[in-house]
Amino acid sequence: MKEAIELGLMALVLSDMALLGIGLLSTCIRIVAFQGVLLGLFSVAVNWGFLTPRVWILAAVSGLLKGVVYPLLLRRAVSDAGVQREIEPYVGPIPSVLAGIALFGASVWIGGRLPLTGAAEAGSRLIVSASLMTLLTGLFLVAARKKALTQTLGYIVFENGIFAFGVASVGEIPALVELGILLDAFVAVFVMGIAMYHINREFDHLDADRLNALKG
Amino acid sequence: MNVRPFALLLWFPILIPAAAGLACRWMPSPKWIFRTVLATAAADAATAALLVWGTASGGRLFAASGWLFLDALSAFHLAVMSAVALFASVFSRSYFTAEESLHGFDRGRARQFGGLWCGALAALSLVLLSNNIGVMWVGIEATTLLTAFLICVRVTPESLEAMWKYLMVCSVGVAFAFMGTLLVASSAKRLGLEPMEMLLWTKLSENASAMGALPVKAGFLFLLVGYGTKAGLAPMHNWLPDAHSQAPAPVSALFSGFMLSAAMYCLMRILPLVEAATGRVGWAAHLLAGFGLLSILVAAAFIPFQKNVKRFLAYSSLEHMGVVAFGIGIGGAGAALFHTLGHSLAKSLAFFSAGRLGQDAGSYEMKTLGGSLKRGPLWGSGLLLAVLGLAGAVPFALFMSEFQILRAAMATAPAWVVVLFLSGLAVVFIGALHHAIGMAWGEAPSRSVPENGPFRPAAVETVLVAVMLILLTGLGLWMPGPLRQGLSAAAAVVTGAPSGLDAWSVWTGGPTP
Repeated sequence: MKEAIELGLMALVLSDMALLGIGLLSTCIRIVAFQGVLLGLFSVAVNWGFLTPRVWILAAVSGLLKGVVYPLLLRRAVSDAGVQREIEPYVGPIPSVLAGIALFGASVWIGGRLPLTGAAEAGSRLIVSASLMTLLTGLFLVAARKKALTQTLGYIVFENGIFAFGVASVGEIPALVELGILLDAFVAVFVMGIAMYHINREFDHLDADRLNALKG
Repeated sequence: MNVRPFALLLWFPILIPAAAGLACRWMPSPKWIFRTVLATAAADAATAALLVWGTASGGRLFAASGWLFLDALSAFHLAVMSAVALFASVFSRSYFTAEESLHGFDRGRARQFGGLWCGALAALSLVLLSNNIGVMWVGIEATTLLTAFLICVRVTPESLEAMWKYLMVCSVGVAFAFMGTLLVASSAKRLGLEPMEMLLWTKLSENASAMGALPVKAGFLFLLVGYGTKAGLAPMHNWLPDAHSQAPAPVSALFSGFMLSAAMYCLMRILPLVEAATGRVGWAAHLLAGFGLLSILVAAAFIPFQKNVKRFLAYSSLEHMGVVAFGIGIGGAGAALFHTLGHSLAKSLAFFSAGRLGQDAGSYEMKTLGGSLKRGPLWGSGLLLAVLGLAGAVPFALFMSEFQILRAAMATAPAWVVVLFLSGLAVVFIGALHHAIGMAWGEAPSRSVPENGPFRPAAVETVLVAVMLILLTGLGLWMPGPLRQGLSAAAAVVTGAPSGLDAWSVWTGGPTP
């Protein structure tokens, strides 16, 4: 099982890199869906050996939300707005991938220093590093991209990172709390979707950088 | 953890507004929606009064097998919240009635407002009442999501921009706080608590000194950035002036009057845990004081140059959140809590007045609001006195609390910190005074009389302003005994001391009465 987990973590890091390098929104949405499914499987794999109904329910709910519901919402927003790709982001694809490598280095360094018990039990320090990498990638996407859609995508990736971190480091948070958190994240993405709908209708574009009337 | 039937009241502040919010979706007319909003706020205030009375005799209330709880700190905040919510709900009716003739306010928008407003109250109560720090986080995130669309009840390009910034900055910021919560939880693993009890604040605070210091420190950094974003502390405050200036006045009042304080409350909850885990050397408290001082200085740099009255008030919120954080950090927790109360009252009154004056003038630019004392004596004087109060003038409550925080700072902090704190307050004072005088007595712009006749407030508005001003000045001159005791008990929770001794001696210059 340890090998499978490590393979999954590699896939997670590679998908982060892909998100940084690819500008085509439909591909990015597919990658985020892949991450969602991966995280659902991941939370089962980490708890392999003591699989309670709680683990299955949370894995199913999170996999469904992150792997199916969010991508559908985003895809809908893409077709509504007619946006195909991220044009002229603040940071281009190649510098973004280079930044991604730096982010990964930072994640490995921090991951090695955080004194966490949970990750060691699960057998791999890579978990913490990979989740931090995903978190930082999400943050980078929020900050360095101009389209409201890509920023929402970044928020989802950021949430994915936190989810992975939670699975790796804590494990047994009461299911009620975790469901509340998933619900919040879901509503957040939903609200961002509605917000994008309104922005698109009012401005006829989804460029967050052109929302710059308020200053000072 | 004895559950008394009385403790079932703890459910009320969460369930009543939640149910009312849902009910607003089916209300036939704005009139009924405002009745519902008002009834909800009144019910909330009554429950809060009962609950405060219930905890006044000392001790804590528990419900939902310990997941909901109330102690002196949350009772104090619940009281402040229900007061702000009641005032703002009363005001929202006059505001939106006027809005109806200006920009239109149909049933759909009234439903949106009523539903989200009541929902936000439920979420704020959840933050205050939950014992589980994970659920507390869920509540804070829920307030962001519920209030986002309150900013653009009236959809304009500017309000959409402010809403998007608010949504992105606060969602990502508050997610940092969740990361911090996870780190605290992982360091609590070694306490050997049951999974169901692992995130309960009461359990954590009993065993906080046994938590691992390093992950708790890392966790506090994340929590400070996360909840600090929502509390509007610099340098994470960028969303604040935009959101406050674009939201309708009652919403700005709730934002400034209580939502920021709710996020600050979360930091107050976490602080004693971190201090206990790191050996009570003041590491976390000093960090918080640093962010507070920075916020005061940033606000001082921006306030003198503001042109829009609501942006000015928003920067003033940044300053006051800074003062609260600074006060807690340097050991004046009692005074900082009193400051929270004073700020909530003064700031909501200021936003009410600015909102009505702005509606009348058709703009929130301070230039166009000149001569407001003459044009709208009630709201003009409300704005003048509220801004004077916010600036820290005598005899308002905020002067008293700032003075006590200053005394605490002189007792504990190095001289340069005191100098920075004082000069920040002085710049803000001068800037605010300048704005206040300009708006009150300044030259009114030459413009035609608005077509909907002279600006005449309703009787309920006069009562509202009078009550708020009496509270604001009354608390500056005289502190009632029960409030004093309540503040002392709440401060004891923040400092983690068994009694409020060290906070209280700063407050009165002597031992606890």
